[in-house]
Amino acid sequence: MSVTREFSADQKQLIITIKGKFDFGLVQEFRQAYSHIGDSEPLVIIDLRETEYLDSSALGMLLNMRKSLGSTVKGIHLINARPEVKRILDISRFEKMFTIA
Amino acid sequence: MKILVVDDQKANQIMLTGLLTSFGHEVVCASNGREALGLFEQVQPQLILLDVMMPEMDGFETAPRLKAMSGSVHLPIIFLTALDSQDTLLECLKVGGDDFLSIPFEPVVLQAKVNAHARVRELSYSIVEKNRALAWHTARMEREQNVVQHMLENALADNQLNYSFVKSYLRATSDFNGDVCLGRKGPFGNYYIFLGDFTGHGLAPATGALPVAQAFFSMAERGLSVGDMATEFNNRLYKVLPDDMFCAAIVVEMSANGDRISCWNGGMPDALLLDAQGRLAHRIKPQHMALGILSRSEFNSQLEHYFLSPGQRLVMFSDGVVEACNHKNQMIGEERFANWVTEMLDSDCSEVQFNAIVQRIDDFTGNASLNDDLSLVCLQCQPTGLEPQARSIKGYHLPFSLRVTLTEYDVRDRDPMQSMVDSLAKLDALQPHKTSLYLLFAESFNNLLEHSVLGMQSELKHEEGFERYYEERQSRIEQLQGLEIYFDINYEPNLNRLAFTLSSNSEHRFDGRCDRSTTIENDDTYGRGINLINQVADKVEWRDGGTLLYVSYSLSRPLV
Repeated sequence: MSVTREFSADQKQLIITIKGKFDFGLVQEFRQAYSHIGDSEPLVIIDLRETEYLDSSALGMLLNMRKSLGSTVKGIHLINARPEVKRILDISRFEKMFTIA
Repeated sequence: MKILVVDDQKANQIMLTGLLTSFGHEVVCASNGREALGLFEQVQPQLILLDVMMPEMDGFETAPRLKAMSGSVHLPIIFLTALDSQDTLLECLKVGGDDFLSIPFEPVVLQAKVNAHARVRELSYSIVEKNRALAWHTARMEREQNVVQHMLENALADNQLNYSFVKSYLRATSDFNGDVCLGRKGPFGNYYIFLGDFTGHGLAPATGALPVAQAFFSMAERGLSVGDMATEFNNRLYKVLPDDMFCAAIVVEMSANGDRISCWNGGMPDALLLDAQGRLAHRIKPQHMALGILSRSEFNSQLEHYFLSPGQRLVMFSDGVVEACNHKNQMIGEERFANWVTEMLDSDCSEVQFNAIVQRIDDFTGNASLNDDLSLVCLQCQPTGLEPQARSIKGYHLPFSLRVTLTEYDVRDRDPMQSMVDSLAKLDALQPHKTSLYLLFAESFNNLLEHSVLGMQSELKHEEGFERYYEERQSRIEQLQGLEIYFDINYEPNLNRLAFTLSSNSEHRFDGRCDRSTTIENDDTYGRGINLINQVADKVEWRDGGTLLYVSYSLSRPLV
């Protein structure tokens, strides 16, 4: 279970946690995690606290998610990134498309 | 039984010695009080027959001294008296006599009295023995409690409850608190709180607190999610605790910005989430059973997440608070307590306001005795101001060069780059860089594999093609034969540098010729790999006509 998803009690947030390695090996699991989000226009939160490895395919998957969800969500937050992961997100200028907290 | 006969009349001595010996007792005689006291230590008599009127020291003076010498074991003294004036008898009792025997007497009366007092003496002796045993056990118990107390104090030495944004109060009914409150900062500047209430008080729950505290601190340090924490606590307690014991608990994480909390509540009273004006915004109800009841497979680690606005507060407490009673046996109750909280924490949760609530609880309960441990925590939702953890690198490493040759077997269904970085990261100096190293290795490797070996086109990765691209990649990998990919890794600790070259037995270039050049700002889902390598590495060079890639990475680069 390297991808888990969980709605907040008020259904306003969808929290997706990715553990270990984030790459194309998770492509289906990850897509399922943000599918069927209902009409509540939730905020999507990707919790990267336990993401140790990621590569460009992971960045591609995040961008795909953003395109696919579009305006059906309130926004997408990438949270708890370790310094190294944060640097990769910064290099890729992800703060322009996601909220990095 | 050893009996001391104290009488100045030789005739009486002989008569009593004869009788008592015939009843099976051992007899020693003294002619007056002084002689009796002199003999006491040596003879260790268990019963005294004492004459009243004697030269040197009479019975009245002797009796209390003998009693004193006997210490805590009861020494029966039977006065021998020819007089039966009431005053004399009373005086005998006053000085510590236990009985009288008037001379002359019937031998059977002597026998009966001696036997009766022997029983009392025996009883007293066994009580003294039991007291001694009891004292030993009490001392031992105390020592063991001290050991547990010591262990618990040490285990909680790293407890971090002294930050300005958290206030806590615990009151125990016994030496050991069944309520446990733990706080710890996480690696992201985040903060964790655990508030638990074990069934019962005393030693047993204190013992359960040990594994929980250890697990809590280590998981907080690693920055795990509250759900994983709760799962681990439950696993540990389920294993350790007897069936009738468990631990109600609430576990909370607050983000570094103080704008988000995640919460797992198992069997604790509703935690009260207040808005900035102190109004009750939400009750975080117990969604789960207490820790230590459900098996691993039954356990549910589902969390509740809340986004907060500045100034919100979270108030958590054990049932000891709402079930505390006053002298009329009325409980504080959930409603009344919620009212106090909203009334008194209206604008802030300062020391003063927090103490006022504690005072209110004390005023209500007055002198009524506490039935349960009582704990109360208030978390002020604000930026924690805690620095994210910097990793310290220690140790000294030797330089090394390493050649790794991968074949198609290493590439199919495996991630050789993860294995490689996992191994390299076992060195302390490389461990903090594992994410960057993985990125460099994985991007270089994938570039070589996909473009030079498999002949894939990056454009395929576009949107819907993304998954098809990887399916195609997989199917081409299945057909690979005779593949060799060479990594030459070079670690130079004196230069603080890790460099590697990558090539293969394939003839094709992989120098990005086929990877469409992309600007960083675009959000295409492909063409990012080489950019990332260029940005993360210090030096990237294509050599040998684009068939060999050289990458060098500086380990002195700051991570934040």
